[in-house]
Amino acid sequence: MNGSRSRTPLLPLARALLSHYRRHPLQLLALAVMIVLATMLWTGVNHLTSQARASLNQSEQAVAERQQVLRDDGRDLVVDDFVSLRLAGVCVMPWLEVTPETGNRLVGVDPLAAHCFGAGTGASQVLDQPLDGKPFVDMHTAATIDALESRLYLLTPEITQAADLPDGYHLKTFSVSPDTGELGDSFLLNLEALGVLVLLITALLLRSVYLLGLAQRRDSFALLHRFGVPPGHVQSWLLLEILSLALVCVVPGVWLGRWLAAGLGGGFGQALDGLFDIPLYAGQGQGWITPVLVMLAVVLVACLGDLLLLRFRELFSLPVPARSGLATVLLVAGLAMAFLAPSLLWVFVAVALVFAGAGWLTPVAVAYVAHWRADRMAEPLTRWRYRELAVLARRLTLPLVALQFALAMVLAIQALVTTFEDTFDRWLGQRLEAAYYIEVPAGADGNKAAQSLTGQQESVPGLQWHRVKRGQAQLADVGNASGLQVDVFAVAPVGSLIRQWALLEAVDQPWKALASGQGVMVNEQLARRQKIEVGDSLLLTLGEQSGMLPVLGIYPDYGRPVGEVLLNSETLPDGFVIRFESFSVTPGELEIGSITGALKQLWGVEALAIRDNGTIRELATGVFDQTFALTRAMTLLTLILAASALLMMGWVFFSTRAWYFRLLEVWGMSQRQVAGQLLRLALLLTGGIAILALPLGVWLTWVLVHRINPLAFGWSLPMAVYPAFWLQLAVLSLAIGLSISVLMGRQLGKPAATPVSANAVVGGER
Amino acid sequence: MTESLLAVRGLSKQFVSGNETVPVIEKLSFTLDEGQSLALTGRSGSGKSTLLNLLCGLASPDAGTIVLQGLVFEAGSSGARQKAAAWASLRRQQIGVVFQEANLMPALSLLENVQFRAQLAGRDPSKSEDWLARLDIGELAGRYPDQVSGGQRQRAALAMVFAMEPALILADEPTGSLDRHTACEVAGVLFDLQARHGCGLILATHDAELAAACQHHLDLGHLSGL
Ligand SMILES: Nc1ncnc2c1ncn2[C@@H]1O[C@H](COP(=O)(O)OP(=O)(O)OP(=O)(O)O)[C@@H](O)[C@H]1O
Ligand SMILES: [Mg+2]
Repeated sequence: MNGSRSRTPLLPLARALLSHYRRHPLQLLALAVMIVLATMLWTGVNHLTSQARASLNQSEQAVAERQQVLRDDGRDLVVDDFVSLRLAGVCVMPWLEVTPETGNRLVGVDPLAAHCFGAGTGASQVLDQPLDGKPFVDMHTAATIDALESRLYLLTPEITQAADLPDGYHLKTFSVSPDTGELGDSFLLNLEALGVLVLLITALLLRSVYLLGLAQRRDSFALLHRFGVPPGHVQSWLLLEILSLALVCVVPGVWLGRWLAAGLGGGFGQALDGLFDIPLYAGQGQGWITPVLVMLAVVLVACLGDLLLLRFRELFSLPVPARSGLATVLLVAGLAMAFLAPSLLWVFVAVALVFAGAGWLTPVAVAYVAHWRADRMAEPLTRWRYRELAVLARRLTLPLVALQFALAMVLAIQALVTTFEDTFDRWLGQRLEAAYYIEVPAGADGNKAAQSLTGQQESVPGLQWHRVKRGQAQLADVGNASGLQVDVFAVAPVGSLIRQWALLEAVDQPWKALASGQGVMVNEQLARRQKIEVGDSLLLTLGEQSGMLPVLGIYPDYGRPVGEVLLNSETLPDGFVIRFESFSVTPGELEIGSITGALKQLWGVEALAIRDNGTIRELATGVFDQTFALTRAMTLLTLILAASALLMMGWVFFSTRAWYFRLLEVWGMSQRQVAGQLLRLALLLTGGIAILALPLGVWLTWVLVHRINPLAFGWSLPMAVYPAFWLQLAVLSLAIGLSISVLMGRQLGKPAATPVSANAVVGGER
Repeated sequence: MTESLLAVRGLSKQFVSGNETVPVIEKLSFTLDEGQSLALTGRSGSGKSTLLNLLCGLASPDAGTIVLQGLVFEAGSSGARQKAAAWASLRRQQIGVVFQEANLMPALSLLENVQFRAQLAGRDPSKSEDWLARLDIGELAGRYPDQVSGGQRQRAALAMVFAMEPALILADEPTGSLDRHTACEVAGVLFDLQARHGCGLILATHDAELAAACQHHLDLGHLSGL
């Protein structure tokens, strides 16, 4: 026995098994295209997310607790400065930022110079990483790059005091980026969730296409079995076959995915760069090995999962009631778990359970409802249609569930992206309230500038401005003497610029009260964490003075994690340490140049740090739009993929069913009436799926917004539902139904000259 | 003399395959009276199925005339739409067609199939159970086509045809996929009911015995064209 087994010649077997694809080359092509697209979509989303996350992390690390040395005369630092500072015994580390002609910004550092930073500081942590990786490169490498732009900074540890510096230098905080807040992070997390969903959907589609081919090959497998080929050989062959196909297709898929992500990632990086001066350091991204291996595993599991895991197979072959019972249990457990989950992990488990339950239950539910309706129909054609619907739901389970998931995902992502877009918009509005933003140079007198602007305000229509002083204050915690450090955002005058800020909650006429110094406002984060409400009084220590100040309002911070207090800077005591000072100016009918010219003269400086908020806003809006549009495009692509899979499967299934539609013609219905029945059936099917996708999509939105986000970041976005978009999706799914029926109708249109070829009739399932 | 149920005059049909035209039926003429049966024989490919398709309007002839229940169908493209509608209405109510297999909607139970066919023809569906009982498959009424044997399926197909009370039955090898014994039974029921209800029957078959049981006989001869 053994002898004959080992002698089964591989070549004829391979030829026999491959002959299927020679007869059905389109099937092979469909499978290959499906693998490529699945890989592309998943790699795209994944690559984008991990790259953006990496650059965010790096920039966060890079900005941790740092100060820099600057020249008093405001000129750029050069190597000589480094030398003279080191000679004076000051610990400085060069930080050379270069923007190459192609690619992202790089930072050149000198690891030898960094040792005086000591352990535990942000810089040394960054520098513990090997320097051959981007974005941190060796100083020497950075200096030799052909750069569009390069700038040298000299960083010094916190222990360095102003007194330690030689003449002609001063200290300033070094800030590569203000904190993006967790808005960006949150968006990334949601993108990651999207990536997992895309993977799931594409796996389902892959499986459906593969099983379709397998079903058609069953006869030849049976024949081979009769010829004495052991089933194990056929199975190993299938494994080999799908593995080689996957290998051939996954690699271009990953390549396409990275190409796709480059489009997206560019958008995200530019947004961060333009908005926060966060350089999008060339992220390490992901290698090739991980995505290729992951996709190979997905292809294998999707195609041969039940074959490989024999025990799993029994689960699939459970009787329908037992299976639906199990699915219901999963669904209910998932729903409950999502509600009660104490941590993110459990929420993700819950989502998995709900999707598993919904996916298992959907076709059964459609079939059940169809039968239930059919039993109540007196009209014979309607009854027949509902019975056919039940068959369709069962036969097209995989593509239908994939379509349902894709619809739900598009729904959730659309709601989420729109919410984010809205939030980003309002956030931009808050941070970029004026047209220009001018830093007050160190040593310059802000009061003089304020007086000058006040003088001009009367004569220049449209001129709006306020002066911002930033520093810190102690907030006496209720029942806790130690207190809490909060940021101070002090504004004066409390004019029309600041009054544009939206408030979540406020007393009557809050801005008027703020202007007259009757209280403070706090950000959402502080209010939430300290359970502060409008009308409460805070014991605030500013400089050396303490006082009770009522809370006039709470303003949204869109994820800024630090507690912040907004007050009228005229109420600041003298001892208050101003860490940073700036002017926000909308010049109105005046040229900004004339304002800055006057300020330069006033302050006696050659150059000013000015930020043109209009340009930034334009750029940011454009880039966010691009990012969101691409995110939408990505989900839409998944939907189209799911729709075409359904179309393809529907086509194949229908060709086995066409005879029964022809039977209707034999029984005296016109071709038109039959086509009408077909159309109604297809619309019933896709419309039903869309209806079933709706609650899943809304639930998914709720989970993302109200469960995942609060658990991950401690704050939640507003959840909005968009019925207009539901309508669009409904129209879309009906369009899918329409195209199915048009395609199938063409099969019917062929002359029915020989309806008698009964031997060729298959597909007599019910 | 009563007018015949069906009259066929000079009927021709050819198929075009590639750049070759293959005549399948050439200048065929015959008549069939009400209550009469006609056996169609001939080798495989001789055009039996093609003729049956022509006789129920599922295919259109290249030449000739078909007169069915006083309705005259002339070959030619003029009035194609009206002709199609007239044929459809005839098929719905007057012509019962039985194929070798796959006569039932797989998603409907046997009873639902019979009811469906009766309702399409505008007949009373409540007699459907009777028909199944008369064909000895009354107890299988709730089963689906894939849950019964081939012979039982053909019986159900006959029940459907009789439930629509046709004037003409076209049967294309209705027993072709059954074993000898079952085939005899099914054919017996067919002839019995046809005689009792007085409808016309045209039966295409390879089975000489079955052909002999018919009152008339038409041999389409050898494979034409090749
Ligand atoms: N749609 C078509 N296009 C081209 N040729 C056709 C078509 N339908 C039938 N034919 C040809 O017409 C001839 C008659 O076919 P038909 O099916 O009527 O034969 P038959 O007598 O029913 O054969 P059988 O006993 O095998 O059922 C055959 O040669 C067939 O190949
Ligand atoms: Mg035939």
